[in-house]
Amino acid sequence: MSGYLRLVRLMTAVVLGTFATAVALADDPLVYATIQPAQIALGESAQLTITNLGDTTSPITLPVVSGLKFEIIGRTREIQLINGTTLPSSSIVMRVTPQIAGIFTIPAVTPKAQPLVLQVTAASGGISSAQTSPGAPIPPPILSGGSIPKGIHLTDDGSAYVRLSIPKREVYVGESVPVDIEVGMRSGFVSSLNGLPRLTDDNFALNNLSHQPERTEKLISGEQFVVFTWRSILAVVKPGTFALSAEAPLTVKIRTRPRRESALDDRFGDPFWQNLFGATVPKDINVKSPPQELKVLELPTEGRPADFHGAIGTFSIASDVSPAKADVGDPLTLRMRITGSGNFDRVDSTMLDHVDQWKTYPPKSSFNTSDPVGFSGMKTFEQPVIASKPGAQELPGLSFSYFDPNTRRYETARSASLSVSISPSLADSLTPPQSAGNAAPESRYAAGLRPDHVNTATPASSLIPPYLQPKLLGIPSFIVLAFAAGWAGARRRRALSRSEPADRPSSRAAKRVLAQMQAAARTGNAAGFFDAARTALQPLLATRWQIEPEDVTTAEVATRVGTQNDLHQLFALADESKYSGREPSAIDFARWLRVVPLLLSNGKST
Amino acid sequence: MVLCLLIGAVQVHADSDPSGYSAADLYNLGNSYARMGKPGMAILNYERASLLSANDADIDANLQYVRASAHLPGGKRGSFDRMARFASPFLLSWIGVFGLGVVGASMIAAQLSPRHRLLRRGAMLLGLSMLGLTICNGLALWPILHEGVIITAATPVRVSPVPMGDPLFTLPEGETVKIAAEHESFALIETRAGRTGWVAHPNLAPIVPRKQAVVPPE
Repeated sequence: MSGYLRLVRLMTAVVLGTFATAVALADDPLVYATIQPAQIALGESAQLTITNLGDTTSPITLPVVSGLKFEIIGRTREIQLINGTTLPSSSIVMRVTPQIAGIFTIPAVTPKAQPLVLQVTAASGGISSAQTSPGAPIPPPILSGGSIPKGIHLTDDGSAYVRLSIPKREVYVGESVPVDIEVGMRSGFVSSLNGLPRLTDDNFALNNLSHQPERTEKLISGEQFVVFTWRSILAVVKPGTFALSAEAPLTVKIRTRPRRESALDDRFGDPFWQNLFGATVPKDINVKSPPQELKVLELPTEGRPADFHGAIGTFSIASDVSPAKADVGDPLTLRMRITGSGNFDRVDSTMLDHVDQWKTYPPKSSFNTSDPVGFSGMKTFEQPVIASKPGAQELPGLSFSYFDPNTRRYETARSASLSVSISPSLADSLTPPQSAGNAAPESRYAAGLRPDHVNTATPASSLIPPYLQPKLLGIPSFIVLAFAAGWAGARRRRALSRSEPADRPSSRAAKRVLAQMQAAARTGNAAGFFDAARTALQPLLATRWQIEPEDVTTAEVATRVGTQNDLHQLFALADESKYSGREPSAIDFARWLRVVPLLLSNGKST
Repeated sequence: MVLCLLIGAVQVHADSDPSGYSAADLYNLGNSYARMGKPGMAILNYERASLLSANDADIDANLQYVRASAHLPGGKRGSFDRMARFASPFLLSWIGVFGLGVVGASMIAAQLSPRHRLLRRGAMLLGLSMLGLTICNGLALWPILHEGVIITAATPVRVSPVPMGDPLFTLPEGETVKIAAEHESFALIETRAGRTGWVAHPNLAPIVPRKQAVVPPE
């Protein structure tokens, strides 16, 4: 295998030599540059070689391209024999590391040379959860010995590390803690970063994690590391003691050859040589930070203010109102500014509610952060308020309650009360307007106005017509009631005066029957007398008893009302006078003339 | 009935307020605002003055003049309005009360005695006419009692009764609108063109003030 590689290297040298000769014969240019490969992914490096053919040693300056980092990794000088001619050449080998993705143009190293183009694509590849599998052979460490800064634990192959920086070890549930997550990748040994860092414990959440991390470079144990730092807010949702760590998915280059065969590569420290000769293969891994113990405490219930909404941090408040002068009914804006650091997502306030002589509306809030993660800044609450009465009014001071984790107790910040001058509304005022004086120019409306009036009328307290005023509606109501009562009384009196005596039949049928009975009594016709009375009573009783009129007989009457009453006696006399021919005395006629109307009106005997 | 009328007269007399409203004062106030170039407040006070003195030619003339100067549509009164408001509401109130008494007395007399039928019917007709005049006056004034005048220039009419509500359109100063409802410090108005929206109370003055109390001058 090693013999094959040596053969490849020899062939490459021959090809390069032939190419250089052709360039030399062309005699232009004497200095040229090549870049290999011309397309790489972010996190990889390319090789820029500047070759100078000939004796002249013209000075070569490093190119400067924004977004690319150039590092000289080696110089070579050699003499080549081409067609019997010796040709000295020197080369400078540079590593080009892109800092961002894009297409870069590297300017020509000489005026006659062509510029080079390097295309850098974003880091690709899925996130693999596979750490170095237990069964896989552990690659030999690239770094050995040397001091490593505190808090940094490199991976076994020394290619990367993740560091989680938490400023405190005791936090409260709901508290926001600013954290830094640092992912260090050794230059040339990490192909790509495959995702954002995350926490390994579900009891914590990272809020406002920045998508664009800060990029720095750091020398660790003498090796160059590219360090990406994310700033975020750690939110705690559950009390307890936790071991917290962060992890980041990376693709690293794993060495495939024994270490003794790659000593030259390590000496160069350059992935170019590894890629060229197939010394490494890419592998997806998750790099974890060492776990850190974090104690999460419950918020104390003792001394918790009623208006505490969960804000934890250090805050101060200020308030103002604008404008300071207004008319009744004009909306004013009351502002409360809460400044400090903490969990601003839980900073809330209802501001003023139910204030005498003021109408209040629900406030709106806005937050201006002073850091990228929203841990510190100023939250402003704006509440529209409307004064309902004129005069010097006062808006009471505002308060805001929070828990201070430094003092470990609840605090209430208060603002001073605010004074506002409220003028009466023009529409409700009868005061003549204050003009600017007689010299003031009159408006265009003044020219055609008719003159003022002299006031002689008695002023009224209301513009509502008196007949629509509730307090005066009692007068017509009383009049209506009084006349209604008088009319009803008069009508009743008239009805009483027109009514007949109680012993007289009032209906037309009763009068007719009575007339027939009187006629029969005058002629002494007892059968006709009682027959008329019975005939008149039969339909009345039939209707009441729900039977046919011909079924109303003496026996039926006896059954229903008994025998000891005028009704039964009347029916019995009618039967007797009709079938026996008995003639009742004149006294009997007179009595029955009084009884029958009563029976007709009541339907029963008195 | 006489006792009732006496009580009413005493109550009405007690109801008069030396610092209250009079047609002349309101008319003069309207003139002052017109001279200051405030057509909204001028129209408002002319309208208020015309409630107390409907047939005052000066009030009507100045009202029409300010409306025309402000390029606002003129509110010409119809024949029914002129007839129904031939007298002040105060006088028509008493006419109505008296008419009510005449009608009631006629009805009682008809029950008590059948004689003088023609006289009774004439009295009944007179009482009903007097009562009708008062009712017609109320019908004529009822819409005005629910109207308001825009008193600020380019008043925004909002879609909802909150200060942050989106404006639908604006109304010119002096525009007379119908007040359909009120919610907190906003009034739901309807323009002559039928458009509706919410106007803040500081921008709108009802022709009949919301409160009886008069703010004393400072």
